[in-house]
Amino acid sequence: MADGPLIVQSDKTLLLDLDHVLSTECRRAIAPFAELERSPEHIHTYRLTPLGLWNARAAGHDAEQVIDTLIKYSRYAVPHSILIDVAEIMSRYGRLRLEADPVHGLILVTTDVAVLEEVIRARKIAALLGARIDAETIAVLPSQRGAIKQSLLRLGWPAEDFAGYVDGQAHPIELVQRGWKIRPYQTLAAESFWHGGSGVVVLPCGAGKTIVGVAAMAHAKATTLILVTNTIAARQWREELLMRTTLHEDEIGEYSGAKKEIRPITIATYQVMTKKKNGVYAHLDLFDTHDWGLIIYDEVHLLPAPIFRFTADIQSRRRLGLTATLVREDGMEGEVFSLIGPKRYDVPWKEIESQGYIAPAECIEVRVNLTEGERLLYATAEPENRYRACATTHTKRNVVEALVEKHAGEQTLVIGQYIDQLDELSEALGVPLIKGETPIKEREILFNKFRSGEITCLVVSKVANFSIDLPDATIAIQVSGAFGSRQEEAQRLGRILRPKSDGRSAKFYSVISRDTIDQDFAQNRQRFLAEQGYSYKIIDADDVFQGKM
Amino acid sequence: MRSFSDYLRSVDDPAFLDLFSARPDLITPVPPDIASLAVRACSAPSLARAIDSLNQWQFQVLEAAAALNEPFALKSLITLTDKAASDALTHLISIGLIYPSEDGMRLSSQLRNVIGNEPAGLGPMSVAKLKLAELDNAPNDARKVLERIIWGPPRGSVGDIKNPGPGVAWLLERKFLVPLDQRTVILPREVGIYLRGGKVHKKNSINPPILEGSKRDEPQVNLAAIANIATVLRWVEELLNFWAEEPADALRAGGLGVRDLKILSNHLGVDESCTAFIAELAYLTSLISIDANDRIMPSNKFDIWLMQTPADRWQALASAWLITSRVSGLVGRVESRNVAALGPELDRVNAARVRALTLLILSENELLAPDTTSFNQLMAWRAPVRRNSSLQEELYLWTLREAEWLGITGQGAISEYGEIFLSGGDLNVINNELPKSVDHILIQSDNTAIAPGPLEHEISQQLAVMAEIESRGGATVYRFSEATIRRALDHGKTGDEIKAFLIKISKTPMPQPLEYLIADVAKKHGKLRVGNTSAFIRCEDTTLITQIMSDKKLEVLALRRIAPEVVICDHDAADTMRVLREAGYLPAAESSNGLMLTAPRANRAQTKPRPPRIIGEIEIPSDDLLNAAVRAIRTGEKSSHRQTHLRESVSQAFGALPRNSANETLELVNRFIDEKKSLSIGYADNNGSVTHRIIDPIRVSAGALIARDHATGEVQSFRIPRITGVAPM
Repeated sequence: MADGPLIVQSDKTLLLDLDHVLSTECRRAIAPFAELERSPEHIHTYRLTPLGLWNARAAGHDAEQVIDTLIKYSRYAVPHSILIDVAEIMSRYGRLRLEADPVHGLILVTTDVAVLEEVIRARKIAALLGARIDAETIAVLPSQRGAIKQSLLRLGWPAEDFAGYVDGQAHPIELVQRGWKIRPYQTLAAESFWHGGSGVVVLPCGAGKTIVGVAAMAHAKATTLILVTNTIAARQWREELLMRTTLHEDEIGEYSGAKKEIRPITIATYQVMTKKKNGVYAHLDLFDTHDWGLIIYDEVHLLPAPIFRFTADIQSRRRLGLTATLVREDGMEGEVFSLIGPKRYDVPWKEIESQGYIAPAECIEVRVNLTEGERLLYATAEPENRYRACATTHTKRNVVEALVEKHAGEQTLVIGQYIDQLDELSEALGVPLIKGETPIKEREILFNKFRSGEITCLVVSKVANFSIDLPDATIAIQVSGAFGSRQEEAQRLGRILRPKSDGRSAKFYSVISRDTIDQDFAQNRQRFLAEQGYSYKIIDADDVFQGKM
Repeated sequence: MRSFSDYLRSVDDPAFLDLFSARPDLITPVPPDIASLAVRACSAPSLARAIDSLNQWQFQVLEAAAALNEPFALKSLITLTDKAASDALTHLISIGLIYPSEDGMRLSSQLRNVIGNEPAGLGPMSVAKLKLAELDNAPNDARKVLERIIWGPPRGSVGDIKNPGPGVAWLLERKFLVPLDQRTVILPREVGIYLRGGKVHKKNSINPPILEGSKRDEPQVNLAAIANIATVLRWVEELLNFWAEEPADALRAGGLGVRDLKILSNHLGVDESCTAFIAELAYLTSLISIDANDRIMPSNKFDIWLMQTPADRWQALASAWLITSRVSGLVGRVESRNVAALGPELDRVNAARVRALTLLILSENELLAPDTTSFNQLMAWRAPVRRNSSLQEELYLWTLREAEWLGITGQGAISEYGEIFLSGGDLNVINNELPKSVDHILIQSDNTAIAPGPLEHEISQQLAVMAEIESRGGATVYRFSEATIRRALDHGKTGDEIKAFLIKISKTPMPQPLEYLIADVAKKHGKLRVGNTSAFIRCEDTTLITQIMSDKKLEVLALRRIAPEVVICDHDAADTMRVLREAGYLPAAESSNGLMLTAPRANRAQTKPRPPRIIGEIEIPSDDLLNAAVRAIRTGEKSSHRQTHLRESVSQAFGALPRNSANETLELVNRFIDEKKSLSIGYADNNGSVTHRIIDPIRVSAGALIARDHATGEVQSFRIPRITGVAPM
């Protein structure tokens, strides 16, 4: 094609021209094997990575299809070296298979003896192997199923896992669709996962990942262990399960710092799982206490490293990872791939937004001019205090007040990092504050009031970053953040992206101090949001005061 | 029998044309006459070159000819090889390796030396008459021995020729093996040929092996080739732009350091061997030059090259590559670790020939991407390598790889453009096929801009200053950041100019965040000003500053007011003070930390003083010194006299050579020259061993004694310090 929508770059990025008539068709075609890196307004950038290509192999695509797609949609001739690379990388997946053998137990089988010879010579792998059965087969120590997958991936020969799963102890779970309906993409996601065995479902925040988990449980109909980030999230899951399934309260247990219940459905926090007592992980047994049929990892991109180690030991149980992004700031994407499983389902943020399931959002950066005094304070601050000095400047307060006033009556969250700043704001605005030390009871009361509309404005610290559900927040105002982490942005935005009953667009304000490192962090955030395709606007604090918006 | 030159005299003009086109070295320079031509044609280097041009079959025929006694007939040659040898022989004659004489075919003189004494691994002719038929009934032991040497080399070692094993003994007895020395036996040629079944070679490789490979689609091949052409042009341009910004330093031994190569390879996003290839291309086409300070930088030719059409640019690269003897593949090879790109060690004699032949084979096999093994086999037939073959297969591989990088091939098969290039046709078609250059970019709100095709040169140059390139290929992705905008401002653009430029070339509206970014950086840029100056004048009274600024007498100082209370000037502080004082002002000096220097600063050198050495008249010493000197000389004289005396007694006692000190020797010699006496001297040679000579001294000159040596009768010079002693005869 001489004039396709896709440009294949020599560094293996793919540029997709959205203004092209074939762009939608092309996006569908490349999505299975290319990872979306950024999606600003005109040209989306995808990247071909080994993991992405292997994910595609796992989903049943072959190299020929990928190459055909690239050639078909490419505007210019595709560099030959890239086609060769794609074929080469994809051919690496599946040359090795893990299988269950009735006689020898877990075995590693190959279609290519040379590859097997290569990998068994690797020192890390040799230690995990048992006896050589024949030229193409070698036994693997059953306990090392996870470890060998990890090591093989690092060697560049990812193994396909066909060794199957234990069913776990059966437990009846059915969906109860009363007053709500499962969305088509959620059904698809749960089915894709179930057919794949284990793996990760990638859905944007607010797209209802929990429902996908619940639907997966309804497939498994077995005892389930759910790992979540914190207690609040654990309670959310519990609520969801009660509301959407046939499960009763006494079938669901919470395993956290406060309670240690083990029930057919147990929800545990990462925190308690990684807690050490006398230098050992004290709650590791939880994985073995029950014959779990399914293990769900919420927010996989935050999964702590020790959990990976546990996960390596339970490879015979089905695992479902839920996340909004596969990007891990610690670069452990490979671990997610080998231990939890390949990506099973993925819908871009914008696609779900256009289907009306999540609200469109507008990002606005409000730049505040520091007063001379504040500038001096900032200039002379010690480097480690600089961010705090500019992020918590007093001038921001007036802007926040003006913004809250402007959106009076709309559900508004004020989010920040520094407690004293939040205390001050909460006092100035006359609204309650939720911070780390707020008792869980009180938090829930406040959240319920916020949900019911009894209160319209809340000041929250970073406890709100993860997995709390505030259905009707339309306005978020961020006053300070944790040094511009990309994930945090996604989370914060996720907070306000739940669909609004009246279809209004959500607004995400970040108030930042001009000409300081606050602005540099904002740049980081801006880049991420713009890459995700959100419109991004910069305004001056004066515009807020003068109502020019 | 006629000689080769006689033969040459007899041939007609077309034959000469054939000869010269096959062996151009014969007419560079043109020889004065046929005799000289014959000499040149029979010289070893020229013959070796001619042999190199043979394919495997032709060489086999030549070997078989060399195994025959001269003169030989075509029939016997065919017996040893195959019927097809007649064509090969015609070729060998046409290139002057074999010539017909009236009694049969003859080899050009020297040719046997070039081929070697053992053509095709056959030993020398037997002297004795052999009963070859007996070989058929050779005992097993003998057979085993024969099997080992039948295909050459024809020599074998035996433990002891006097006491051979049964097999060897049987063969020696019948002269089927001939002893060469104590431990070696050799197989006579007749025996070898007999055992080989009356032939010279195990297999006559009359026809070339068939080239195997994958079939390609013509449009795909050309598309891939165009992509390669676009890429290689971009690589070269980028490499040169990179070196224009940061010239690399050449190694002392010449060439590009490993580190620089790595940096470059990262920049281009290709592996190091490809980087070396690109650097070499730029070097071959003079697009870079290495200056006197060993810095590698683009040359003026680069600018000219950039102005040319893509087709011309590409042709320049491809032509230079085709004929060069430099092999960039050697760079970074494990076995040749220290070979540097652009360095002096990359030349290989047969590189250009391999390239030409490779492309010839490719163009003979259209739409075929050859299989490596099959290609190597074909190359080995077309151009058998008789010397140093270790590199050969790698060289083939590199050649194919480089042809692909250049776009002469696409997907491994020769492309339309490659064919046109080889046939010297019009490459303009490349200009039409290459993606059209675009004159616009798309700016996005994540501060990237995308040029959806090759950008027009002017625009891309400008944009490169304002933004960092993030991704390259058919399109280019630029990223704007504070640093890149600042760089543009440093290059003398203003914020408004940057904005206007971007708005002009962008097809999409300028995103607001980028506008803010430019405005922010432009606002901050240049707030701090830095410059050099020698002296400053400061004064809290601004009126006084205004006064000195307008004082005509101070114009020499070229004062510049940089703040209401501060003036700077390029003269040093002392001069400035002097001029100010002369003009009637009362300046005071200030030290670097702001203290006032109360006294006028006297200048003091910062270095340690080094007074000059005194050379010239010697001072007259004091009386004491003089006396002491006299005493010392006397004592020395006494002791040396005693020593001489002692030495004389010793030498008389032992009857050995005379011994004198150098001064005594000189004195004695001078005396005996006058007396014209013969002398007996001891003379030390370079190693210090002393010999006894009888000489007639003639004169002393430049520290040497010129004398006639009786032993040799020749006039020789003897260095005085080496003469250990002198005694008259």
